[in-house]
Amino acid sequence: MATKETMTINMGPQHPSTHGVLQLILELDGETVVKATPHIGFLHRGVEKLAENRSYHKALPLTDRLDYLAPMSNNLGYVLAVEKLLGITHEIPQRAKVVRVMMAELTRIKSHLVWLATHALDIGAMTVFIYCFRERELIMDMYEKLSGARMTSNYFRVGGLSEDLPEGFEQDVKNFIDAMPGHLKTYEGLLTGNAIWQKRTQGVGYISAEDAIDIGLTGPALRASGVDWDLRRDNPYTGYEEYDFEVVTRERGDTFDRYTARLDEMRESCKIIQQCLDRLEDGPILADNPGVCLPPKEKVLNSIEGLIHQFKLVTDGFKPEPGEIYQGIEAPKGELGYYMISDGSANPYRMKVRPPSFVNLQALPQMVEGSLLADVIATIGTLDIVLGEIDR
Amino acid sequence: MPEMLSLSNDPILFIAVMLAKILAVFVVLLLIVAYATYAERKIIGHMQTRLGPTMTGPLGLLQPIADGLKLFFKEDIIPAQASKVAFILAPMMILVPAFITVAVVPFGGDVVIGGYTVPLQIADLDVGILFILAMEGLGVYGIVLAGWASNNKYSLLGGIRSAAQVISYELAAGLSIVAVFMLAETLSLRGIVEAQSGSMFNWFVFSQPLAFCVFFITSVAEINRVPFDLPEAETELVSGFCTEYSSMKYALFFMAEYANMVVVAAVISTLFLGGPAGPFPGVINLLLKIFFFMFVLIWMRATFPRVRYDQLMFMGWKVFLPLALLNIVITGAVIVL
Amino acid sequence: MIKEFIQGLSITARHLLPGNSTTVEYPKVKYEPFERFRGLHRLVPDHSGEKCVACYLCATACPAKCITIEADEDENGRKYPTVYQIDLLRCIFCGYCVEACPVEAIEMTGEYELANLNREDFCFTKERLLK
Ligand code: SF4
Ligand code: SF4
Repeated sequence: MATKETMTINMGPQHPSTHGVLQLILELDGETVVKATPHIGFLHRGVEKLAENRSYHKALPLTDRLDYLAPMSNNLGYVLAVEKLLGITHEIPQRAKVVRVMMAELTRIKSHLVWLATHALDIGAMTVFIYCFRERELIMDMYEKLSGARMTSNYFRVGGLSEDLPEGFEQDVKNFIDAMPGHLKTYEGLLTGNAIWQKRTQGVGYISAEDAIDIGLTGPALRASGVDWDLRRDNPYTGYEEYDFEVVTRERGDTFDRYTARLDEMRESCKIIQQCLDRLEDGPILADNPGVCLPPKEKVLNSIEGLIHQFKLVTDGFKPEPGEIYQGIEAPKGELGYYMISDGSANPYRMKVRPPSFVNLQALPQMVEGSLLADVIATIGTLDIVLGEIDR
Repeated sequence: MPEMLSLSNDPILFIAVMLAKILAVFVVLLLIVAYATYAERKIIGHMQTRLGPTMTGPLGLLQPIADGLKLFFKEDIIPAQASKVAFILAPMMILVPAFITVAVVPFGGDVVIGGYTVPLQIADLDVGILFILAMEGLGVYGIVLAGWASNNKYSLLGGIRSAAQVISYELAAGLSIVAVFMLAETLSLRGIVEAQSGSMFNWFVFSQPLAFCVFFITSVAEINRVPFDLPEAETELVSGFCTEYSSMKYALFFMAEYANMVVVAAVISTLFLGGPAGPFPGVINLLLKIFFFMFVLIWMRATFPRVRYDQLMFMGWKVFLPLALLNIVITGAVIVL
Repeated sequence: MIKEFIQGLSITARHLLPGNSTTVEYPKVKYEPFERFRGLHRLVPDHSGEKCVACYLCATACPAKCITIEADEDENGRKYPTVYQIDLLRCIFCGYCVEACPVEAIEMTGEYELANLNREDFCFTKERLLK
């Protein structure tokens, strides 16, 4: 008479590798996971609700804090959504667009580096962690040089950019993307061929293309299952249609494939950044739309119209026509969407964020049930979730 | 060679010499353990483009002392639901076997003191190698006990993992060195060292490369070092069996881990690298070999990911055990022929 | 298999060589932020005290609502802030106040060591901001 008792363990919210404050209730039979239930909400700050009480301009810093590993992507999605709501998408100057793409791709690399770092650390390869953070630090420096902050960049503005590129910035970017392939080789040298790494990742956390589509996976996690879908190519925004890049896909849909897919994505990003550098031309960085964009500082200081304009815009903000739009972008972790409703006032009536991590997390129970405890860790890592974005 | 010093021919000198030897070995071992933590942090730090400890003392050299003091003055927490006696006993049960093992490791040739020959070894057991295996096996009780007594599910998982791991790997480790006894025709470590004396090429690492590799890897698994550090696996089991421990009890676990490293390095050096043989005075040779192996262990920790529980079992039973057996068969065949 | 293991080991060994460290030995060595760094605020002084004309634009623009201003007029009829306070515990360092100011009276410095022991110490009054 063997009755089988399972053990329930509480993984998180304080656990070294649940990537923040994810709580997983795991039912274990020995070390085999019978059932996994994610509990979320420990990092809820009510970003969507807060945005309703702020003007469109002031809601922008809130988005920095969604996926805090890829702040510029969040900024980009938000400003694109508001621009679409305002109907000024076509007015964005070329230079602003190019810089946006460049920073979005740098952000992708930055986010993927953190993913690789933590994923490798979870599986026990701790040196890769530091190497990745070393390179990420270079991107952080560029962030700081450009926007003044290392994490909460708050750099894009509705209508363009807040400031032009600082001196020498292009050279920094160039140096970085020249060095990056070498760094990627280092990571691969430590991981890809390593038999332990392969054993730990191949066949682990498998998800089929159909299931991935059913659940709504997006980003590298979807593409590694063999679905060729990338918003940058399939629903281009901010001028991505002009760039030449490949959408990286894999076939097997396991952790190893997601790993190689993301590494290749970083290489593609470097290619895009190179094209951005080639395209950068002098020009305005803000749309010429006094109803939306703050006037340049000299104008405020030296002319009375500029001053009045500044007062008007800061105090009242801009008021889009009533309506609703959805704007999705290909953030590093998948499709990041903003659904905005305007009621004609200066504050959004509703801002709904579709965070990629939130949707991707839904695949976790299916991916881990039946596998071992150690695979849960690997799978959380490979899904690349960020709790700031899941809980909002 | 004069007569061997023993309890019967000069009891007072014998006891004095014995105490001196024990004290010396103990102090050296403790020093190595303390500075192994420092070395590990420094080496891994530099491998990871960091610096490691730099603040306490010149080059951070006082770090182990600072760590020790800190742990000593920390509050000692025993969880309310823990099984008290076992909880307190466990850390000692881990540390003591680790230290005892060193007793049978010869750290030099013979010296003459007061007209008697004194072997530079605390105890020359005839079954020295079995003693080592037994002690390594005992150490696991501490881990299992710690895991069970903590009354914490993560600790329990760590303890169970450890039990399974040590049982499977001890088998392969034991079998892999059978070939060494076959060549040395003795179980005493002193005898094994003597069998390797002469030129460097008498070292068993050259005649038994397979046994060397298998024993090295299985030993790494037995002392729970990366890539086989499953009982602790901090990213999976928080901290495994020592999750609930704090203060000095935690320090004991910590010391045991490094003491085990020293022991394994010493045993491997003795079995396969001729022990104290080499160009320098005996002890220094042995220490150099120990440091080399410890460096390799640290290096591996900086480089490799962790294997998974089922893969570990698979390797233990289906790779290393057959390899060890095969090695015995081959060695036997060669000896007979 | 063995080859890859050795490759991995050689990568870590290569980094062991001196000169690979990227550590900034804070606090012995201070990190120098870039020019645009958004650190502690500073009110720009001028001959009559501060440049600020108490127009409230920064307080209006601030998404965290952490700027408190009380205005008054001096004998020449020039507006100035009697109280100008930034509550750094609320501030999110977004830089909107700087962006909004029409007379460039407020700026952000590279000061980033902002830890304090008391809550009151996080309230930066006009005197502290003018330094
Ligand atoms: S930086 Fe932002 S939050 Fe801080 S005071 Fe200025 S506007 Fe307010
Ligand atoms: S700091 Fe600038 S924006 Fe703020 S009140 Fe003074 S003048 Fe106005």
